Amino acid sequence: MSRSIGRRIEFEVAGRVVGPALAAFERAKKLARRRGPARPGKPSSPFGPPLEATRKLKELMTTHYLAGRYADGAVPVAWVTSGFPVEILRPLGFHAVYPENHAALCSVQRVVPELSDAVEKEGYARDLCSYARTDLGSVLTGKTPVGRLPKPDLLCCCTNICQTVLYWYRALAAHFGVPLFVLDTPYIYGQAPGHHRAYVRAELEELVGLAERVAGRRVEPDELEAVVRVARDGTRLWGECLAQSRARPAPWTGFDGFFHIAPIVTLRGTEACNAYYRMLRDELAHRVARGVGGIRDERHRLLWDNLPVWFDVRGMSTLLAERGFNFVCTSYTNAWAEAGSRIDPADPIGSAVLAYTHIILNQDLPNRLDILRRLSRDYSVDGAVLHSDRSCKPYSIGQIDLKQRLARELDIKVLVLEADHGDPRAYSVEQGEGRLTAFMESFA
Amino acid sequence: MRNAYIAKQRDEHGRKAVAVLPVHYPKELFTALDLLAVEMWGPPGAPVSADAGRVQAYVCAVVRNALAFLASGRADACEAVLFPHTCDSIQGLATLLTDFGGWSKPSFVFQHPRGSARPSSRAYYLGELRALADGLAGLAGRPLAPERLQEAIRLHRRIDAARAALLDGRRRLALDDVELYRLLRRGEWLWPEDHLAELEAARAKLGPDDVARGVPVMITGYVPEPGTLFEVLGDAGAFVVADDYAAVGRRVVRAPAALDLDDPFLALAELYWAAPPCPTRASDQVARMRYLAELCERSGAAGVIVHEQKFCEPELFDVAAVKKTFAGKGAKLLYLEGELETELSGQATTRLEAFVEMITGTARVA
Repeated sequence: MSRSIGRRIEFEVAGRVVGPALAAFERAKKLARRRGPARPGKPSSPFGPPLEATRKLKELMTTHYLAGRYADGAVPVAWVTSGFPVEILRPLGFHAVYPENHAALCSVQRVVPELSDAVEKEGYARDLCSYARTDLGSVLTGKTPVGRLPKPDLLCCCTNICQTVLYWYRALAAHFGVPLFVLDTPYIYGQAPGHHRAYVRAELEELVGLAERVAGRRVEPDELEAVVRVARDGTRLWGECLAQSRARPAPWTGFDGFFHIAPIVTLRGTEACNAYYRMLRDELAHRVARGVGGIRDERHRLLWDNLPVWFDVRGMSTLLAERGFNFVCTSYTNAWAEAGSRIDPADPIGSAVLAYTHIILNQDLPNRLDILRRLSRDYSVDGAVLHSDRSCKPYSIGQIDLKQRLARELDIKVLVLEADHGDPRAYSVEQGEGRLTAFMESFA
Repeated sequence: MRNAYIAKQRDEHGRKAVAVLPVHYPKELFTALDLLAVEMWGPPGAPVSADAGRVQAYVCAVVRNALAFLASGRADACEAVLFPHTCDSIQGLATLLTDFGGWSKPSFVFQHPRGSARPSSRAYYLGELRALADGLAGLAGRPLAPERLQEAIRLHRRIDAARAALLDGRRRLALDDVELYRLLRRGEWLWPEDHLAELEAARAKLGPDDVARGVPVMITGYVPEPGTLFEVLGDAGAFVVADDYAAVGRRVVRAPAALDLDDPFLALAELYWAAPPCPTRASDQVARMRYLAELCERSGAAGVIVHEQKFCEPELFDVAAVKKTFAGKGAKLLYLEGELETELSGQATTRLEAFVEMITGTARVA
């Protein structure tokens, strides 16, 4: 796609001026509302005081999506899977769009059925991943709660989270007619053999070449090193945020974490992302020091496995919080912290091989069990809910065995809860609440 | 029948059997090492043991049934199992069965490269071939001799040529679809030389003139189960003139005409990328649609049947593109979805019959 100076100005203004100004305006409106007649408090709320950082999170994400509306034609645009090494694209000035994050947002906004209907009419089965259906539906209809998504110049798909993204991005490539780069990360059974690591390294080198051609410039080693350092620091900061929940009471809920994960997914490798997590970490640490919990009365601590049920996060978290249950850790949010431990700015490509192949979903079940065990112990949980996610087979296969092993080895209560991460039509709220309630009653 | 054949192969030829999950794998390595590959497409029908409940009901029947079958000990005639890298579910099955119980004999994985052919993927594929060859050689108890692999490649090229001749010459073949598919699918477990002998015998039934009667249709999908589909199709007055099943047509490599066998591993890599496009190998979707359109046109099919298994992600993601491709050409298309049943449902039977009637009616009007 040809790029123009005018479009670049629009993009920069949207990202640097309009986005922050809009956020400031929203903030001011909220403040004005607070200064008005005193509203009845919420003594009945089971949650602790809201996180101050949430406002900044909204500002950050609003600005990101607003700038994105003007990105095509201004800067190179890549649509990227959540597990893709975006650090390689950032120095080349790519604006990265994360269809998974966008689909999650659509689910929270409850527009998935409408978007999914559009692609089901075209022949996509409802059994397919709801993220994929949502995203493809948005592409086909042009409808999105974020106003507009920029058209991609490059599609970047990494198979370390699933192969669904591969099929999904093949369809996107056919639709947009732009290059698709597949970073194929062979699944790790036990240890990765040498030729697997060599393969991923060679692919990353091929990616650099392709991204440079699309961007029309070369990536300098020091630029790449700088971005990788920022990305590593960002993942560490995210890990520090999560680790605050080892305290009793945990200063936030695992469900809060699902929302605050957005910057490390979509803005990894940027200073804005790191600044945000410094702020969040400090606020959480402050809450820990004061004994402020994510819920008012934390009596039981739980682990959540798999993606969230985006469209019912609020309902589920309220149901649990009312009974003194808090998800203090989740394998999903933890995954974004774990990857960072392997990133090394001194060896951007070599360390990316390790970081991006050793993702929880790209490793065998014994590794998964180890992670769940470790989280359970580190966060002192009394129980676990394994979300059996119709839309995510790689995350869900094995959960029935995992449940038995976790319960037996750690002597904790474990529930397998069937739902879907995006499509409310694949989940019965009443049945889900019934299952969760019975599970909570078993702690009595 | 398979167990008796496996036992005979072991007793008479000393060949160990290896259970192989779908879809793509370098069978030549097995042949060269005197190992009998016995493919497991489920098997169809209800799961044979409660182990199927170890995976969710939204996982495809191929994986659920294979889990139940392997964990119940019914594949104990096999000395090992191979999990080719076909989809997330088979990948998950590989770790579930071998790490959490159900299969304690040796197991292998074969992770073919995904994405377009690049220098990295070619080098990786060679590495993966060599790693599998080493593993299988350990099972066979002898090293892989290059000349044996060259022989095996030649043998499988002859098998491919015979299968291609039968599929491409379908109109001139004096076999019905039930007989043809039964023959082709015996290749999933017969020793390759035995299979080739049967194929050559069938090839002798290829005449100079068209003998197949009825409406020619093209069929694409994962696996031709249940086999009764072909009975229904035949009774309705149609026959399969072009095949794109992952289990059948997509595994018949027609090119290259000449293959350099000096380095047999390089030859296997060349064959891998010469195979028809398949979503389980992540072939480019546009290229696949072009291939299907050409296959349909070349065969003279009057309609297209898309026959998929529920929850099969690689296949289902291409259905919209397949529909669009053929709608753009004004071709009639029927979408059928199954769950590895042993019999075609009454509903599916009616839909097939109606589809054939519709094509016949259209043809008459035309």
